Amino acid sequence: MAEIPETDKKTAIKAAIKRRKEVYTPVKPDMQLGFIHHNVDCIGCRACEIACKDKNGLPPGPRFRRVLYVEGGKYPDVYAYKINLSCNHCAEPACLPTCPTGAIFKRQKDGIVDIDSTLCIGCRRCEGACPYGAPQYDPEDHLVKKCNLCVDEIDAGRKPYCVMACMMRVLDVGPIDKLLKGEWATPALGPNETPVRAIKNFADPELTNPSMAFVPHSKGKVE
Amino acid sequence: MNSNAPFDFLRDRLNLSRRTFLKTSASAAALGASGLLELKTAKEAKAFAYEPYPRDDDLTTVVTSCAHNCGSRHALVAHKKGDVIVRLSTDDGRYQRDGVFGKDTFEEPQLRACLRGRSYRQRLYSAERLLYPMMRVGERGQGRFKRVSWDTALGFVAEKMIELKGKYGPTALLDQSYAGASYGVLHKSDQIEGLLARFLGMFGCRTSSWSVPSYQGTTFSSRMTFGTIEDGNEDDTFAHSKLIIMWGWNPAYTFHGGNTFYYMRLAKQRGCKFVLIDPQYTDSAAAYDAWWIPIKPNTDAAMMAGMAYYIFSNNLHDQSFIDRFCLGMDAGTMPDWAKDQENFKDYILGKYDNQPKTPQWAAQICDVKAEDIEKLAKLYATTKPAALKASWAPGRNAYGEQYNRMAAALQAMTGNIGVLGGCAEGVGKAWHSEAVAYPYDQNANIWYAAIKSDRWAHCVLNYPNVKREEIGLWPRNDQLDGVIPNIRGIFWQGSDWFNQLTNINKEIQAIKKLDLVVCMDSTITPSGLWADVLFPVATHFERHDVALPWYKGHYYIHRPKVIEPMGESKTDFQIFTELAYRLGYGPAFNPRATRDYFNRDDEVDEAYLIDWWQHKVMAHQGVTMSWDEFKAHGIYKFILARPHVAFQDQIEQGMPFQTPSGKIEIFSTQLAQIKDWTKTQYGYPIPAIPKWVEPWEYAHSTKIKDFPYHLVSPHPRWRTHSIFNNCTWLRETYEQELTVNADDAKRLGIQTGDTVEVWNERGRVVAPAYVTERCMPGVMALHEGAWMDLDDKGVDRSGNPDFLTLDEPSPAGAFAYNTVLVNVKKTELTHRPGWDKLATARSHVFRRDQ
Repeated sequence: MAEIPETDKKTAIKAAIKRRKEVYTPVKPDMQLGFIHHNVDCIGCRACEIACKDKNGLPPGPRFRRVLYVEGGKYPDVYAYKINLSCNHCAEPACLPTCPTGAIFKRQKDGIVDIDSTLCIGCRRCEGACPYGAPQYDPEDHLVKKCNLCVDEIDAGRKPYCVMACMMRVLDVGPIDKLLKGEWATPALGPNETPVRAIKNFADPELTNPSMAFVPHSKGKVE
Repeated sequence: MNSNAPFDFLRDRLNLSRRTFLKTSASAAALGASGLLELKTAKEAKAFAYEPYPRDDDLTTVVTSCAHNCGSRHALVAHKKGDVIVRLSTDDGRYQRDGVFGKDTFEEPQLRACLRGRSYRQRLYSAERLLYPMMRVGERGQGRFKRVSWDTALGFVAEKMIELKGKYGPTALLDQSYAGASYGVLHKSDQIEGLLARFLGMFGCRTSSWSVPSYQGTTFSSRMTFGTIEDGNEDDTFAHSKLIIMWGWNPAYTFHGGNTFYYMRLAKQRGCKFVLIDPQYTDSAAAYDAWWIPIKPNTDAAMMAGMAYYIFSNNLHDQSFIDRFCLGMDAGTMPDWAKDQENFKDYILGKYDNQPKTPQWAAQICDVKAEDIEKLAKLYATTKPAALKASWAPGRNAYGEQYNRMAAALQAMTGNIGVLGGCAEGVGKAWHSEAVAYPYDQNANIWYAAIKSDRWAHCVLNYPNVKREEIGLWPRNDQLDGVIPNIRGIFWQGSDWFNQLTNINKEIQAIKKLDLVVCMDSTITPSGLWADVLFPVATHFERHDVALPWYKGHYYIHRPKVIEPMGESKTDFQIFTELAYRLGYGPAFNPRATRDYFNRDDEVDEAYLIDWWQHKVMAHQGVTMSWDEFKAHGIYKFILARPHVAFQDQIEQGMPFQTPSGKIEIFSTQLAQIKDWTKTQYGYPIPAIPKWVEPWEYAHSTKIKDFPYHLVSPHPRWRTHSIFNNCTWLRETYEQELTVNADDAKRLGIQTGDTVEVWNERGRVVAPAYVTERCMPGVMALHEGAWMDLDDKGVDRSGNPDFLTLDEPSPAGAFAYNTVLVNVKKTELTHRPGWDKLATARSHVFRRDQ
């Protein structure tokens, strides 16, 4: 597939953002929850993926949480790391304005983006719009579903299943502004480590303003 | 059906209107991209609008654990509605004394379950569950069974047992139990001394399988060198190391304790450096940013010898430690009675064979550059404290015990034994748990013959023309010594050994000759397909027990009966008790029970467990919490008075080691005194000091002409050996791939996603290929445990590497799983990842090369 020139990409993103601002004013939540993930210390075990599948009763197929393996170099100078994504509960979610029934909504309280399955008709436009693959089509129910940040656990004063499943403690949730500044106490962030918003193999955060922080691998950094 | 139904459905949801578009808020509508469809819904969207979605707090919470032989054993918390487990979570800090949500400290970490434990509902409620007893119809191995009553199945087995013992004697029944299903303090399936051992031993007919597939070479080394397999430090001690050398260790895959890799992360944050010696750049190498040293499989002892040479000849060894604690490390520490025998240092320096074991000499064997060997040796010898974790995989090789013995010599010569942050492992058992709640007495391990576990097929196929050393027959002090067992039947409890031992094609020939094969398990397994009788066993969710750590960690987890046994399944203990009654020794087998135990086990199990808690845990381990309080919490976490470091008292206070000499025996007293090796369980000579012994199949064999690639078969992360292979959530997350180096793949014309055949003279398997730079050339990896699936030409389509391994254990009994040469080619044959057709792995979609 031909590489799209950087300038065209940036122009396209700007245009998309402008158009979206014309038709859609995103909810400005009181506090925005987001995830943080340590791309290096993550061992890629996928306990988070499975915990999420179990909690959400998913069949084989849809995966609300997805661990991406990145590897590079040439033997024996190789490297590898992981990018762990579910839904980024974006400040300007691309999915929300595409939904014809209003099934997708963003919570005022904490910015969680969720899909109301009683309103969803399974048209899958949100699936196409999301740059991260968060909405997933469930072939058994013919609906689209995605990570809802375990909103029931959040409301009970706890944390999402994926965070509580992580055996290396490299995944956590918290107020995204504090997480990005390194002002939120979390085992996901080691001493002397700085989280970033943008990494390689991850869509330009300007697109949808995802609530996601990474501790990047040196080869995954974006200047 | 009303033809308007779809439109009614849509109309209810869409609530069409022709109003002009508006800027929206969360509860109003959104604009379609084309602007043509303008909608507003009257209903406000909300979370979990569909019913029922029970919240965790609406469900009944029951703390339990996982149960398999995986290297860990952490908490699973069942959330039930009625008698159905709706979902599982794990320890989050609440389920212990002074527990609160989120409590996760250095002393009391959460015991989080792994990806396999989290998928347990898929196993618990799988279509593969055995729900009633079955007996074979048709040929053995066809997998055709008919349902029978318990009475019929038990009666058949009891009768057959009496018949076989009568005709063939006390060695006729082979015990092939393992730790797969039942590792708790009560419902114990264990290779040597579990419930099956008690049952067959008391019946008076038992051939025992004495070598442990996972680590026999390592066990041998630990016993000879330190006199014990409790040569391990607890998981939290790893946080104190300045250097951790992961030799053939992939803690990111095979959890040696479920928090060990987390403590290693803390070590990394404190500045610890990591080295990884492995043919693959594993996830452990990546997560710890390790210096990767690719090494040819089965050459580890040579590289270590090269390191020893460097350390000795540069005077970097700790002579004071050697003088005080070691036997036979050098001439000065040899015992008086063996002054003329070889000592380790002079062997390394080449005094006996004129071959100094220099780094240059080692480099030619192991393909690691001499300067890297020297650099590592210097790093290890000069960093204090340093942990050389010589893990078990390189010991699963021809002469695998030499690798572990060599590692122990390095650990000793650098003085990293008995110190916090050091490491003397070996097997690595650490904190001592009270492991026995089941009846345990002089009947625990009665055997009439004991053989190296993967030589049973050889024994059956060649009986009676079998020499004792060919099967590693354990010596006895009576007239049965040296008597070759006449194996006519096999019992599998918590064991899928038919799928898991070496040289499956040979096993298939052998099993056809047997008169009785009994398989007890909660699901059908590849072994089960070859059985005559299938007993359905209740899973650990369906019986009362207490879990203990498999390996590292210091805790107990209460395991109540979370749900009633499914179908007609019973526990192993119930099955054995009932059979014992039919065979005449029921009360002695299960002293607390009556005949009614088969129908009702709650009171008896509670009695065993409360006795264990009070008279072992409370009495011996300083625990003051009552049994009832333990049950109410769910988890008991020990806070140790001091970090558990193996041999600390030996090093600090001069307590003797549990060896004949009281020292760390680099020169083994026992081995040096053996005259006739054929009269021992080893069968063949083992040097008294660690030595490089050339394997019979490796990179420098002549066989490499026809079989140019060395295949290793590591433990998978998405199964516990073969357990969980039927869980589609796990199978869609990982592929049963053959890992191939990129340059090798180019030459072979293979790309990621291609299907390949892998073969040698033992068998042929099919697997998808994963091409990567993360594997050294000439070496390939295929994870063990895939459920074998033979096609009509005898090719295994599942990709099970044990069709390629050889049943040639080392003298010490080490399984030579990783001593395999193969050839590879692209194929048109299809790969069958599982017996069902549900899940296709999408892992290759989630890889990026940059």
